[in-house]
Amino acid sequence: MGEAIVVEDLAKTYRVKKRIRFLKSHIEVVEALRGISFKVRYGEVVGLLGPNGAGKTTTIKILATLLLPDRGEALIDGYSVVKEPNKVRERIGIMLTVEKGFYGKLSGRENLEYFAALYGLEPRRARERINYLVKLLELDKLGADYKLFEEYSLGMKARLSLARALLRDAPVLLLDEPTLGLDPPSARKIRDLVKDLARKEGKAILYTTHNMFEAEMVCDRILLINKGTIVAEGTPEELKSRVPMLKVVNLVVRGNKKVRGLIADYNVKYEVKTEASDLHTIRVYVEKPEEILGDLLKKFVRNGYDIVSIRVEEPTLEDVFIYFSREA
Amino acid sequence: MSFYSILRAEYKLVYSEMIRRRSALIAMILYPYLFAGFTLFFGYTMGSAEIFSRRIGVDPVIFMITASYTVMSVLASVDDVLWRPLSDTFIGTLPYIIASPVSRLKLYLAIPIPRLTALIVMGFTSIIPVYTAYYGLEGLLSGLVVMGLITLGCLTMITLAMVIAGLVHTIGESWRVLNIVRPLVMILLGAYYPRIYMPLIGYVLSSLIPSSHIVEVIHNMLRGELSNFYILIALAIALAVLYAPGGNKSILYWEKKKVREGVKTD
Ligand SMILES: Nc1ncnc2c1ncn2[C@@H]1O[C@H](COP(=O)(O)OP(=O)(O)OP(=O)(O)O)[C@@H](O)[C@H]1O
Ligand SMILES: [Mg+2]
Repeated sequence: MGEAIVVEDLAKTYRVKKRIRFLKSHIEVVEALRGISFKVRYGEVVGLLGPNGAGKTTTIKILATLLLPDRGEALIDGYSVVKEPNKVRERIGIMLTVEKGFYGKLSGRENLEYFAALYGLEPRRARERINYLVKLLELDKLGADYKLFEEYSLGMKARLSLARALLRDAPVLLLDEPTLGLDPPSARKIRDLVKDLARKEGKAILYTTHNMFEAEMVCDRILLINKGTIVAEGTPEELKSRVPMLKVVNLVVRGNKKVRGLIADYNVKYEVKTEASDLHTIRVYVEKPEEILGDLLKKFVRNGYDIVSIRVEEPTLEDVFIYFSREA
Repeated sequence: MSFYSILRAEYKLVYSEMIRRRSALIAMILYPYLFAGFTLFFGYTMGSAEIFSRRIGVDPVIFMITASYTVMSVLASVDDVLWRPLSDTFIGTLPYIIASPVSRLKLYLAIPIPRLTALIVMGFTSIIPVYTAYYGLEGLLSGLVVMGLITLGCLTMITLAMVIAGLVHTIGESWRVLNIVRPLVMILLGAYYPRIYMPLIGYVLSSLIPSSHIVEVIHNMLRGELSNFYILIALAIALAVLYAPGGNKSILYWEKKKVREGVKTD
């Protein structure tokens, strides 16, 4: 069996005309994808993991034949998304923004029937498949199959959306942040199903998320994407081991001044989160913490900060992500 | 991919909306009567019934009711096709429709039929009683024939509406343009103002609209003339078939443009 998804040097730049004043406008250029390449095999969940604006949705849209790339090529099940969109459309199940995309005055089941007709399922086959999916996603347990879509909770909408993606039993699934905004049980249900679909049914699944924890749980392989570039790729374990000598100094300090200036002197990678305007959590990535720790602490104390806590840790996937992103 | 399942899906979509949105249901039921009342009112304020009858050769009440019913049905069908891309964009279903392999021709042919069915049913409460009251049993029969013709007229409009929909939505700011298309179609149909009285350019444009020929058949019939009956009907159907490939292309062209820009997914 060939590759399910092959992406080569895919690039997309958005140009948006921004009106400044009457008759005066300028064109805003956003390089959403800067030439990314990757592959997804059958039976594999590949995570596209990146922060807001990284280019995740742009990638999904191009693969779903909803957006043309400026450059590069993408094949789904061997067919070009640019040259043979209709062939591609017969082979994909897609899940985009979860809140929208269904008819409000139709029940969940009726919505599925509608899309089954669009996807060309025979009525009997459609009914069987919908019964199966309603059970699989436990929409019936939630009393959701006969409820109008406009009365759905976000969790129900996500389940219905996944059900639609599975209507045709397509070999390739493109899921754009399928668990965004869901409560933990619903998110877990979706994640478990996605894993099963790959393991048991051999589907190729591209799964975008900005949640490390989730990517680590669901994905066989992770592509870290930032600012339109894939900055690292591998299994969760591989990614973590690619920065083996790295340690993380987790330092929590309290003080009103800006902390960034203090660390910048050291020429190290770091990440700062500030809560309640004066509580700063600083994560510094270094090979030998002992070389900088004493000096750093002294500096904070001298500048009037209270040290709240200090820990030296092994890197998490999130750290790996930040590490690679900073590098790019 | 069967037309039948798509049609069934469209029926369900339209009727669930109608039944579950009370305001939509009431508007749907009241609309034809308001429309007919409105045109009758204006008709009477414009001139005497006698002059009208002499000029057109048909009783003004019958003429006006038939005209409103025709225009209303044809516009409803055209509107369904024209506005569908906008409503799917708005609801957020568009990406799933674009990313589906459904035949656009089949889909758009199915789109106006459910509402059209409702309009035909309503014809039994407007056209048929009035015709029967005026002409008795013969009126009942001609009422049925007129309704059949109007239905055909609506169906022949779908492919032209597809041509217009694709072009208009590709240009953008489409709802503005759509608001011009409506009255234009209404006039060029010749339902209120028979096209023999139109200036040449109007006559030519009118002839390009499939259902205008059906309107002419109906007018002839009301005057008791059956000349060119089949020729005009054949002309309407031929035009509709002729527009079909263009309609399909037009919709696909619009979709391509959407894909080039990126279909909005949020
Ligand atoms: N239609 C558009 N027009 C202009 N710019 C766009 C458009 N869509 C996306 N962008 C820009 O392209 C970049 C990538 O966007 P994209 O939606 O692919 O990111 P993402 O990784 O999905 O982010 P998020 O986590 O916020 O969903 C962003 O900077 C975004 O602002
Ligand atoms: Mg996104």
